[in-house]
Amino acid sequence: MNLRHVREEFRRPTGRRLAISLAVVAGAMVAATAVVAVLESASVGLADASPVYFVAIVLVGSLLGTWPAIATALAAFVVYDLLFTQPRFTLVVDDPREWLDLVVFLVIAVVVGRLAALGTERAAEASRRAAESTDLFAISRILATAPDVEEAAPVVLRRLVEAGELERAWIVRDRPGTGGPRTIADTDGGSPVPNASIVVSLVRAPGEVPAHWVRAHEPGHDPGRRRGRPLVRVRMEADGVAIGALKATLAGDRREPDRTTTRLLSLAADQLALAIRRDDLRREATEAEIARRADALKSALLDAVSHDLRTPLASIRAAAGSLTDPEIAVDADAARTAASAIDAEADRLDRLVREVLDLSRIEGGSLRATLEPLVLADAVGAVVDRLRGALGERPIRLEVPHDLPPVRADAVLLDAILSNVVDNVARHAPAPAALTIAAAATPDGRVSLTVDDGGPGLSDAARGRLFTKFGAVGGSTATSRPGLGLGLAIVRGMAEAMGGTAIADRSPLGGLRIELSLPAAAPAPEEAFARPTGSAAARSR
Amino acid sequence: MSGGAHVLLVEDDPAVRRGLAANLAAHGYVVSEAEDVAGAVRHWDTMRPDVILLDLGLPDADGSTVIRRVRREATTPILILSARGDETDKVAALDAGADDYVTKPFGLAELRSRVAAVLRRAAGPSADPSGTIRHGPLTIDVTRRIATVGDEVLELTPREYELLRTMLAQPGRVLTKGRLLRAVWGTAYADEGHYLHVYVSRLRRKLAAADPDGVIRDLIIAEPGVGYRIAERPAG
Repeated sequence: MNLRHVREEFRRPTGRRLAISLAVVAGAMVAATAVVAVLESASVGLADASPVYFVAIVLVGSLLGTWPAIATALAAFVVYDLLFTQPRFTLVVDDPREWLDLVVFLVIAVVVGRLAALGTERAAEASRRAAESTDLFAISRILATAPDVEEAAPVVLRRLVEAGELERAWIVRDRPGTGGPRTIADTDGGSPVPNASIVVSLVRAPGEVPAHWVRAHEPGHDPGRRRGRPLVRVRMEADGVAIGALKATLAGDRREPDRTTTRLLSLAADQLALAIRRDDLRREATEAEIARRADALKSALLDAVSHDLRTPLASIRAAAGSLTDPEIAVDADAARTAASAIDAEADRLDRLVREVLDLSRIEGGSLRATLEPLVLADAVGAVVDRLRGALGERPIRLEVPHDLPPVRADAVLLDAILSNVVDNVARHAPAPAALTIAAAATPDGRVSLTVDDGGPGLSDAARGRLFTKFGAVGGSTATSRPGLGLGLAIVRGMAEAMGGTAIADRSPLGGLRIELSLPAAAPAPEEAFARPTGSAAARSR
Repeated sequence: MSGGAHVLLVEDDPAVRRGLAANLAAHGYVVSEAEDVAGAVRHWDTMRPDVILLDLGLPDADGSTVIRRVRREATTPILILSARGDETDKVAALDAGADDYVTKPFGLAELRSRVAAVLRRAAGPSADPSGTIRHGPLTIDVTRRIATVGDEVLELTPREYELLRTMLAQPGRVLTKGRLLRAVWGTAYADEGHYLHVYVSRLRRKLAAADPDGVIRDLIIAEPGVGYRIAERPAG
């Protein structure tokens, strides 16, 4: 990593880099020339020590790359020609054989330099690619494992800023049809997005054309003001759909990102675009699924309602038909029987219509609760008295103390909830199954009411479905079903409209327990006994 | 059976109107029919019926127009025929001067007993000239402000006494929450008034304690969302 960093330092087209290169080339040249001078001196006596220059060329090539190596090769050619061939200090060479040697030397020097540089450059490229792959893999992994882009994007951006030469990166999402663009992630979230006068956009054409950067002045900015860092922008697209843009500011004073950062930005933009597109599609699919289920539920409700409406209607028409039939001599008793059948069926219809209306009011959100302090004991007593006939002969225990704090509830809704729950017991836990209604204040400022029955109860799974529509019934076309099973869905909806809750549990009596929790009201003010009349005062004395 | 009483039936649905009219006529009432507010007012002006059965949802105007018109001129009992779920409409109609309501779909027997009851109440107040209100075993001595069940004196606070007296003055009649509050707390009922139901509950318990046989157990009937009603005929 460190070495890669140093190499990248050299690759930058700066004056500093050029100076360092020149210094290295010069140093290598001086050292090699000195060695050659020693070797060709009279004391050693070698005729041709020019291969020593190859060492310098290989060193420069492996350290600095192709062009410095070739420069060194040329310099060695010139220096050797000047210093070590006859006549000295001129480029003219007398001996044609020596001329051939020199040219061969130059060719070999260039080739050696290039080869030395190539190996190093390939190694550097390989390590750069490896680092790039690591970063890309990390980004893909983040996007693949995070639940959604909104969560993954900040992590991806942090990674980009660390790996690329970026100061800050953010993602702007196009929002066609829903107002302006929106920033969905930012490594420097909170602070305003930089306002640059120059924008560098990555242009990526399809096919083999390499991506390149295009500088442009942002419209609306003063062209004279060229200070500030350029803004880097990479468009994001997936499946031909514009998603938005990946934007960044560069660290340091670079004019545009280098190759590594470019590749990283380009690939990250693609990955992010795909992930965002995937999220969009998933969201659309989820919404479609919810809509589909709501439709399914509505048609199930419609099926059940129309079936349940038709059954009593059929009985009513049958009874009315025999009453009106001129062929049938209807005696008074038969007429009364037919009429009471009509009456009972009309009652059934009434209840059904009431349930459906209640449910639609709950679901439509038009259920308005008028909350006032109510005495639970009174409400429970009234409902049990009213439904005593339906409950039949069974042990009924009411353990609702009068001195409980009043509950904050709506009188009509509370009555409907209690009627539904008790009616449910009457229908599904037939007499002589016991019924116990108990209430107690809870420490969190609420009052909890439990309705227990000793009926057959429900399996855990059935109990879980109890508060959903048709929860109390299996299929929606059973013929001997006493009700639609909307009752407990209504109970829960009404309880929630009053800031309460309704849950189902296994009852210690063996059957079902419905537990209702309602907020408690402050206790009512106590009143002093004051007898205004004389005789009453005398009594109390 | 208040045979011969003149009933004005205001109902826009022809099937319901015909059915009700036939049944009431069969039980000895003289029935006039109107299908909208204009017809109802015309009948009221020309015939002065003894009791009005009024559907609130009429095609040409709100049924409460009829209540206000009638109340300017007379105390003729008015019985509202209302749909379920319209508690606020019921309360508004009762506060405007209607005497009672039945909720559609109602049974004919129930409707007839309500009609009979409003006619009976219209005949006269329940307090006798001596200033005593009697209701089964319950007696209220209005001059001495004492309530007794049988021989037992009820230990009532001033509010509880006022509540009981106001309710018992009009047995059978639905008393809306607003009406009770104004009668017992006056116009400054802001805070304590929220606790009307709690006061009624205390009153009930005191009545129950003084009534071990349960004779007046169901004396005070709650009409959720509307108010209270005193049972007209206590059991026993």
